[in-house]
Amino acid sequence: MTSALLEADRVSLSRPGELGMQPVLNDLSLTVAAGELVAVVGPSGGGKSSLLRLFNRLLDADSGTVRFAGEDIRSLAPPQLRARAVLVAQKPLLFAGTVRDNLAMPARLRRSTDTRSPLADEELLALCQLDKTLLDRDGQRLSIGQQQRVCLARAMAGPCQALLLDEPTSALDWPTAEALTRTFRDLARQRQLAILLVTHDLRVARLCADRLLVLIDGRIVEAGPVEEVIAAPKSAEARAFLNHPGTDGAGGDR
Amino acid sequence: MNGSIIDLTLWDLLVVYGLLVLTMGLSRLLDARQERDIFWAGLRMFVQLLAVGYVLHLAFALQTPWPVLLILIVMGGFAVQTIGARVKEKMPRFYTVVSLAIFCGCGGMTFFFCLLVVGLTPWYDPRYLIPLTGMIIGNSMTGASLAAERLAAEFRERRDEIETLLCLGASARVAAGSPVRNAFQAALIPAVNAMAAMGLVFLPGMMTGQILSGTEPLIAVKYQIAIMCVITASVALTTFIILKVGYRSYFTPYQSLKP
Repeated sequence: MTSALLEADRVSLSRPGELGMQPVLNDLSLTVAAGELVAVVGPSGGGKSSLLRLFNRLLDADSGTVRFAGEDIRSLAPPQLRARAVLVAQKPLLFAGTVRDNLAMPARLRRSTDTRSPLADEELLALCQLDKTLLDRDGQRLSIGQQQRVCLARAMAGPCQALLLDEPTSALDWPTAEALTRTFRDLARQRQLAILLVTHDLRVARLCADRLLVLIDGRIVEAGPVEEVIAAPKSAEARAFLNHPGTDGAGGDR
Repeated sequence: MNGSIIDLTLWDLLVVYGLLVLTMGLSRLLDARQERDIFWAGLRMFVQLLAVGYVLHLAFALQTPWPVLLILIVMGGFAVQTIGARVKEKMPRFYTVVSLAIFCGCGGMTFFFCLLVVGLTPWYDPRYLIPLTGMIIGNSMTGASLAAERLAAEFRERRDEIETLLCLGASARVAAGSPVRNAFQAALIPAVNAMAAMGLVFLPGMMTGQILSGTEPLIAVKYQIAIMCVITASVALTTFIILKVGYRSYFTPYQSLKP
């Protein structure tokens, strides 16, 4: 798959734990093409967040190669990579100031000229389904759902080509989460962004993903089109996870 | 003013130590349980200062630079150790960073003041070099502790914020900007406050000492002004080095936060 924007090739990762170095990801490969949204689900502690952080090099793989647009990320300057493959965290974090100040952040942080998105602030907000009247509002006073949308808009204010979304809806109630999830799908389609979304919520994955990966104990045990994986998981581990009563939305709305 | 100095006899010292007994009595009265601490602190002061007195006496008499340099190095070593004891949350490679900062910051300022401004002859004149370096190192020590502690606290409390900045494409230097700024401010506050309050709230120690030993007050004032500027600059330089080298130790070589 040469058109892949995000690509992990047989990566393994260990992290310091209570009993010394613990393996987190094990010989794992995946790709996300431009315009594609891939969701990763799995039980917590399975390495989902670590997987995302490999792609913007907040974590460094022990072995294997991570590529961005075909290039080994170790050959890119980390700030340059991170402005292109932008990670949006679970808990929205806005800096002091207005929404406009927050959208100006990526350009202020990096002095080079390639950093500004061609989109105006109003357009960025519109893409994230926020009204442009919010621009001059204090970011801290918005609702959590709005704050998460501002974080998304801010992520795209730089030269963003890929989004790494870490449980972006887990702080939201379902109707808000549902609306935001639809926005993710639209962004992948309209802006041709490669989106890797990590979630424990199967409903989110079903609503927006092109493909679904099930990550258990650092290995991808299942991969394929969303409904296929959910309907007929091949491995016992994936079946156990997908049918587990604690997995939101796995049973109820089918 | 003929500069004759009234020496204190051993009997005089015994009398003032009597004041510590009074202090212990007051502590007992309030049941504050400070008696042991006061006793040991008083004893330590006596032994330590007496030892220093003899060392200085010897250094003054020998008239070679080596004992003086040795004393300065020991002072620096104690400063680094004291900072280490004071700072609970240590940054990675703490002792290397702090030693480097004290050596460059305090050493540089001492050299500048004693040799270039005052123009000591001989250059190692212990009567000037030792007490002045002591003041410079002592104050820089306080600044360095404050800076190191504040930097560690900032990196602990604002981890998410720093990581968010990194995720938006900030370099490690840019992402550490605000913690480094805050730590620098915290370190400089005591020195700046001391300058502003000088002469109003208290008569500074060095000036008092010089006046007591017979120096013309205006000369003592000029020395005090000079040393305060040097101290402030030394605090700033020492802190600057600690922060500029220190912030890097929180990041991996690929500019992410260490776990």
